[in-house]
Amino acid sequence: MRGFVKDNALSLFFLVLFLLSLAGQSVAGTADYNARLLAEGGSTVSWAEYVTSSDFAVDVAENWQSEYLQFLLFILATVWLVQRGSPESKEPGKEGRESDHDQQVGRYIEPDSPSWAKAGGWRLKLYGNSLGLLMGLIFVLSWLAQSVAGRAAYNAEQLSQLQDPVSWGEYVASADFWNRTLQNWQSEFLAVLSMVVLAIYLRQRGSPESKPIGAAHKATGVEG
Amino acid sequence: MCAAAVALITGLTGCASAEEGAAGQAAQRFYSAISAGQGDRACALLTPRAAESVESGGEACARAVTTLVMPGGEVRGAEVWGDEAQVRLVRDTVFLHRFPQGWLVRAAGCRPHGELPYDCEVEG
Repeated sequence: MRGFVKDNALSLFFLVLFLLSLAGQSVAGTADYNARLLAEGGSTVSWAEYVTSSDFAVDVAENWQSEYLQFLLFILATVWLVQRGSPESKEPGKEGRESDHDQQVGRYIEPDSPSWAKAGGWRLKLYGNSLGLLMGLIFVLSWLAQSVAGRAAYNAEQLSQLQDPVSWGEYVASADFWNRTLQNWQSEFLAVLSMVVLAIYLRQRGSPESKPIGAAHKATGVEG
Repeated sequence: MCAAAVALITGLTGCASAEEGAAGQAAQRFYSAISAGQGDRACALLTPRAAESVESGGEACARAVTTLVMPGGEVRGAEVWGDEAQVRLVRDTVFLHRFPQGWLVRAAGCRPHGELPYDCEVEG
């Protein structure tokens, strides 16, 4: 058990943080939602009602889609684009999908390589893109969930303000949908930009996200 | 809550028709009470704020509400989103809010006003 926890400490740490944050969001969200309902002359809802409401769903989904988009773009962009000096980047000259030798496939397969990497054909192709595909799928589904839940929350707001509800098509073309979407995207892109650029010049001793303290600023693709 | 759950599962629909029916019946009961001159009954179907707005001018809700001119008519359609509902009658529109005790009218005798909120005879 202790061995399992030690071997998976990083995943478990973020899993616990995720669950605590989601729980905290649900409690704070219930209080905020009830305050708004009372101000509008309505009645309050329970925690259980709030966490199954469109308001909670859209707030969760809009953050999820932007996080998965961020990692999807980071995974795909770093195949083709480099940043000299950044530990987040490959070395200049290695842009692209790389050789079979670099990717340990075909003639260069290892005995302990994943079975789909050894299989070749469509399974190799699918497995070779599986990280981006899954991230992309979760991004698309989260964004779709945001649009559906967002429409429901928006329509409740519209009715409370004595205005007509809108169709799904009207909602995905609305300012509310794009404001929610873009305010999340801009912060994710800024965070990636900061990580890529700051890690050229700054160091964090012991972190694999940083270059070793003594590594040159121009050293690229070196992890500490 | 219902709207969210159903919308997430089925994609693009509003809330279940049972709630739309309940909201439509509440709107009809309100209009029936007014046309029957039953002010007390009509005011009991209003949200507290809407009842207060009818009272303005020093006149009691039960008395003032029966003097309102609201054409109403048969229910043509209803939509429920969260705890809010819109019921479209033949000649005007009603907005309701769901309370623990059921649907109450928050605005009635409403006419569209372009991109702006509806213009309503009763509004609270």
